[in-house]
Order: sequence, then C-alpha cells, then structure tokens
Amino acid sequence: MRERTVTPRPKARAEGVVVRALGEEVLAYDLETHRAVCLNGAAAEVWRLCDGRRTPEEMRRELEKTARGALPEEFVWLALEQLGRERLLEAPAELPAALAGLSRREMLRRVGLAAGLALPAVASIVAPTPADAASCVPSGGPCADSAQCCQGSTCIGDTCT
Amino acid sequence: MADARADSAVVLIASALEGAWRREPPPPALSEERLARVAPLLSGSGASALAWWKLRRSSLCETREALEFKQSYRLQALKDAVREREVESLFALLDAAGVEAVLVKGWAAARAYPEPGLRPAGDIDLCVRPAQFVKAKDVLASPEGRRFWVDLHEGFATLLDGRAEELFGRSRVLPLGASRVRVLAEEDHLRLLCFHLLRHGAWRPLWLCDVAAAIESRAEDFDWRRLLGADVKRERWVVCAAGLAARLLGARLEGTPLAPAARSLPRWLLRGVSKQWETPFAACQPPLSHRAPMRKYLRRPRGILGDLRKRWPNPISATVDVCGPFNALPRLPFQLACGLSRTAAFLARVNAESRRAPHFL
Repeated sequence: MRERTVTPRPKARAEGVVVRALGEEVLAYDLETHRAVCLNGAAAEVWRLCDGRRTPEEMRRELEKTARGALPEEFVWLALEQLGRERLLEAPAELPAALAGLSRREMLRRVGLAAGLALPAVASIVAPTPADAASCVPSGGPCADSAQCCQGSTCIGDTCT
Repeated sequence: MADARADSAVVLIASALEGAWRREPPPPALSEERLARVAPLLSGSGASALAWWKLRRSSLCETREALEFKQSYRLQALKDAVREREVESLFALLDAAGVEAVLVKGWAAARAYPEPGLRPAGDIDLCVRPAQFVKAKDVLASPEGRRFWVDLHEGFATLLDGRAEELFGRSRVLPLGASRVRVLAEEDHLRLLCFHLLRHGAWRPLWLCDVAAAIESRAEDFDWRRLLGADVKRERWVVCAAGLAARLLGARLEGTPLAPAARSLPRWLLRGVSKQWETPFAACQPPLSHRAPMRKYLRRPRGILGDLRKRWPNPISATVDVCGPFNALPRLPFQLACGLSRTAAFLARVNAESRRAPHFL
C-alpha cells in the first residue's frame, strides 16, 4: 500500500512565546525554556507566513513577490528547519523526501547560490547578564536582616527564605 | 598623570554613556582600546544595552565589545517585553483585589528612554497606602501573586518625603495592555529617582542616566517647585543629583532652575561617585558585599574587623541616611553618625529578638 504524503502547513507558536520586533529583526523568548532567539529579516518573513493554512510552496510564492525574483524551495525549508528546532512552530515541519537527505551545509549552499540574498537565520541570543540591582534580596539570597528581603521572605540565618 | 585621569573608570563610563538615553546620542569619545577597558564595567552594571544604543552608529559598532552589547540589547528588549506582561498581570491582580498601587522606578523610569528595553529592570517596586499594605501582602502571597518579584513598600516613607495621600492624589494612570498602571507624577518620580540614586551611594551609572533621561523627557508644564520641594536640604540633594548627571553624563540643564546651583558640586560627592564607579557591581554593594550577618559575629567575633571595614558607610549614602546637608564640609561626622545609628538599630533588633526567642543567638 502506498503511503499518503501530507503536505505540512506550518503554524507559528503563539502560546508561551514573547515576541518583539527590533528593526528588521524579530526577537522571540520562550517562556518555558527561557531561550531567546533572534530571527533575521528572511527568517522573520517565513515565520510571519506560518499561519497554519499556507503550505511551504505557497509561502515560497508569497516570498517571491517581495524578493522580486525566484526563490528555491530550500529557502523556505531552511527557515522552517531552524524555526522548528527553536520550538517556534506548533509542530516541526518534516522535510520532504527530496531534501531530507541533504546536510545543512548542502542546503545552505543550494539556497545561497540560487537566492543570492540573505539566508534565513535563527540565532540564539547569549549575553552576559549582570546581577540584578534590585532593591530587595529575593528568596535564597544573602541577608543581614529581614528588611533586606523581598516581601514574603524572612531573613533566617543569613539567607532570605 | 593626565593619562591616568583620562583612563579612570568614571571618565571611561561617562564617555561611554554620555547622552546615551537620547534618541540620537552624541558619538562616543572612546578609542577601541578604551572601549575594551570599560566594557566589563558597563556590562556588569547593566548598562550594556545603553552602550550599544550609543555605539550603534559609530565606527566602533563592529568591535567585539559592541557586538556583545548588541546581544545584551536584544536580550533586554525581550526581557522588557516579558516584564511588561508581568506588570500588566500584576496590576490586573491587584485591581481585582481592590488594591491601588503605584509603580516606581523600573518600568516607570524606563518610559523616559527612546526604547523601554534600554533600561534593565530588576524587581517590581510597588507602593501602596499604609491602610492597604496587609491586603496587598496577602495578594502577593497568594499562588497567583507569588510568581512576581515584588518589593512592596508601605506608603512612600522609605523612598520619598511627602504624604502618601498627596502623592497618590497627584499620580497618573497609564494604559498597559488590558491593564492600567498607576505611576507617580513626573516631578515626584524624578525626586524619587534622585533620592534613590544618592541613598545607594550613586554606585550604578544607570541610575544617573535615569535622572538625566527624566529631566530631558519632562513635560512642558513640569513643576520645578514641586520637584525641589520645601525642604532646603533635600532641595540640594535633588540639585546635586541633577548636577552629577550634567557634569558626568552631559544631561541638559540649561534653562532650568537647577542649572546655576548644579554647577557647584561638593568635591566629596564627585570623589565618592568616582570611587563607586570603579566597581559598579551589585556584588560589591551591601548586603551582597557583606561576608556574614553581624549577628554571626556575636557568637564568633573572628573576622569582624574585616567585615566592619566593608560596612563603613560611603559618604553619599551616609549623608542621606542621617539627613545631612550636601555642602562642602568633610563627611567623616556623617559617616560616624550613620555607623552609630546603624549599630544602635542592630543592637535594638538583637535585643528585641533575644527577648522573643532567648536562644536565637
């Protein structure tokens, strides 16, 4: 019996994700994993089109209108693969059989050669965070007396509990 | 000698943050090498997003340090979006319980910047009327309330002078998503930012940016008389905080009633800030800088001298603590008075606790 292929219609995850646009980039913060990622303009465009109704092929055609040129199929899939990996889609979109065997490098090469434009990229945001200069010490922090602890905590020993 | 001065932490930080709170900051007066030297001070004190904002259109924008600042800027923009949601939910929760709260510092201060994410926020500072304090505490102790990191204040006594009712009466309500967030009147909030900066010894450069941003983003009908208040000593505190922002970070005071008096700042104040900005990190400030709680030394006094040295109050916060004047006189008497008053408060606390639980020591 022949297996039926279902064309994916990727849908952007909306629950548990905080999004902020900064110029062309779109930043997303996963409230569950506390991971922050940055989508470049191309990846952000693909993500915007992930409405659960469009197929990757329809997304590609939509993107071609703004790119004013032909885009290879891999362009959309490259973005979808990264968006799925970063849990920005409700369900990861499975690569079609023709592309499934390609390494990421190979896919990048094919997209780069054909598209001649910025490749979709989703990158983690990693930055040193300073100790928060809070006016009260949160639970678990050091203290000398309860007045230094945040509301709801008491200084027991030398720790806000 | 001149080189040493130019490379001091305060000069480097000031060069990196001068006018950084403006939509179009002036270009940075920094070499790549000096930027590399100041970068850890900016990152460690929470000013890296602001530093990126200032560097973003300069020749330094592709340096390794600038790109790290850019990452912080992105991360902070996201954290700000998360924080906004929290503030929105928190106010909805308090509102449902009939608690009227005023949000100070944090989100309220960030509104003066061109992008709210430029100013990182720690906890959420809330002030409630003394009569609603217990109710507010209960709301925050509930399962829904416990997820917020709130510093709850009973009235404004620890932050600002003036009667709570008057401050509430002048406060404004701003829309945030589906909620309404109450913040202080502009004048009261700037006064609070000045007091907060000085009470904590002005160790964090970002707080001085807050003062500068609030001054420059003021409304046309800003009431300078209300900002300065009726008390001469505190008026001078405000003037000195604004003067510091002008002297170190280039805040524009021209045409304001603050300008003439802000030109003459006490030397000890500038020295005090210079010293603080050598290590502008929360870990170097009390209580995180303390080795152990004082009560521990009552049982085992070993190491107390070293810790007492760490607890010696800095001249700026000591003066504010004892409500002293910001004049040209030496600060030692104020530091002594502050140390004594803290010791007395500590002993009183120990006494009270030992009566309640005789074996607590």
